[in-house]
Amino acid sequence: MKSVLTGFAAAIAALLLLAAAGALFGHAPREIFAILLRGAFGSRFAIEGSILKTVPLLLTGLSVAIAFRAGVWNIGAEGQFIVGALAAFLAAPFGVVASLVAAVLAGAAWASIATLLRLWRGAPEVLTTILLNFTALHLLGWCVNGPLRERAAQYPQTDRVAASLSSIGSLHSGVLLALVAAFALWFYVERTAGGLKLRATGLNPSAAEWAGVNVRATIARSMALSGALAGLAGGIELLGVTGRLFERFAVGYGYSGIAVALLAQLNPLATILSALFFGALAGGAGELQRSMNVSAAVATLAQATAVLVLLLFTALDRRRRWSS
Amino acid sequence: MVELIVSVAPLALAASTPLLLAVLGELVLQRSGVINLGIEGMMLVAALTAVVTAHHTNSAAIGFAGGIAGAAAVALLFGVFAIALRADQIVTGTAINLLALGATGFAYRELLRRSTELQSLPKAGALPMQLLAWLAIPALVAVALWNTPFGLRVRACGESPAAVGATRASVAWHRAGALALETVLGGLAGAYLALVLSSGFAENMTAGRGFIALSIVIFGRWKVKGALLGTAIFGFAAASQYALQASNSGVPYHLLLALPYVVTLLVLAGVAGRVKAPESLGRQDL
Repeated sequence: MKSVLTGFAAAIAALLLLAAAGALFGHAPREIFAILLRGAFGSRFAIEGSILKTVPLLLTGLSVAIAFRAGVWNIGAEGQFIVGALAAFLAAPFGVVASLVAAVLAGAAWASIATLLRLWRGAPEVLTTILLNFTALHLLGWCVNGPLRERAAQYPQTDRVAASLSSIGSLHSGVLLALVAAFALWFYVERTAGGLKLRATGLNPSAAEWAGVNVRATIARSMALSGALAGLAGGIELLGVTGRLFERFAVGYGYSGIAVALLAQLNPLATILSALFFGALAGGAGELQRSMNVSAAVATLAQATAVLVLLLFTALDRRRRWSS
Repeated sequence: MVELIVSVAPLALAASTPLLLAVLGELVLQRSGVINLGIEGMMLVAALTAVVTAHHTNSAAIGFAGGIAGAAAVALLFGVFAIALRADQIVTGTAINLLALGATGFAYRELLRRSTELQSLPKAGALPMQLLAWLAIPALVAVALWNTPFGLRVRACGESPAAVGATRASVAWHRAGALALETVLGGLAGAYLALVLSSGFAENMTAGRGFIALSIVIFGRWKVKGALLGTAIFGFAAASQYALQASNSGVPYHLLLALPYVVTLLVLAGVAGRVKAPESLGRQDL
């Protein structure tokens, strides 16, 4: 209960700081909030937009949450998102299911490169996953400018993908997939033996090892699961929203996933709320950019401040407990 | 081969100067037991503040000072969380990178709205900064870390902070001192990037240099000589990439862009397991 309140407080503080940043450059806070609200929930179209942005955030948020719970620093959701979408594109001629499976496998495989480098060579995954993000980004750039470029060869983008997710109104079935993933992941982490091993590894790997947990296998499994979720996010985004690949396909969904997971304090169910908050914020930020020409980067700014405020609360709380 | 090396040498040194500054700064901080993933964001903010100050004062030198000031703002935030409050260093660094990305993206657009001339900047001489980065600063860092009491205590903070605490010296203040050194170097790196290497600011212009710097610190085994060697090797690899681009080798441009990151990955895979990090690096307790 207390942690839920802390999360809300951090979210509110992030919004206030955002308004302060706007005020610094002469935008009235009231106007900023009004436009944010309009862009996020002001119309049916706006609400749908917010939900569509929530889906990838929820999945990358879950991806980060599962890795961090296992004590593995997967900062690579961005790259796993991209290779997931690439694989989904290539497998799309074989149908939606094949396409999504390909996305999941590609994301898991990309993340597992970092696992291999850590377990075999001792390379810290916090760096290798980031370096793999840049690698994936340029791989995508090569694909859409080279072998996968649209037949008209006009823009650096692919042709339309051969499959698409079934639609629910103007949303797509990926919304349900993401929700199912959140509940399934909660069940796995909190209610299964595998989840217990995962949490034990995250809390104290040497104690887990002594208790008979195969820590290396648990790390490899969590990393693959984490990559799979981010890859799925990329596949769903391609098949449900963009329909094409282009250079700026990922737009930071992977990095935002870190903020989503941290605000939810790595709880899979709370991740739904946290993703909704940041999804709505992204929708609102888009409107800020359209109507006030304020950079949509404010959404990133708010994500970061929410995390920092949360860190502050946790640190102060720990201090208080120590001193008492 | 020799010909290629000689021909790309000036470019290699010029292009990897900001990287070297970042590597040296991070080396000092990591020696004190603190890992700062946020050096990427520190350089990004410094790049923007350097451009703004250089533009308004019409002086590249003051621009460099502006870069350091921007880096200091980021360092203050990092220091409060990671050193004073002992929050998790990886999470703090990651949050700071997000913050820098969002804040510079937002502020740059606001600034452009007011003066579209932000790209007209005073010319900055590259050579003094290159000499400083490749000769003077490494020498200074080496002396400071290995031949002064302050350096000894900084390194002790990285190996055994409890021992430092027992001598009644403050671990936190020594780490803050190391962070201050990183701030100066990170600020110079960001300013060089914007004023010398690119003549202007662009969103996310650091493009992962901070993370490459962290990798080189590991490759160089937390030593100044290793940092110089690692950065030089990396600089030559990156410069050969430009040479390949220019020579129409047939290798696609975008794959060449991925090369620096792949090289860094390979380097990490090659050495990481066989080097020993400072004992207390990144730990939250004391």
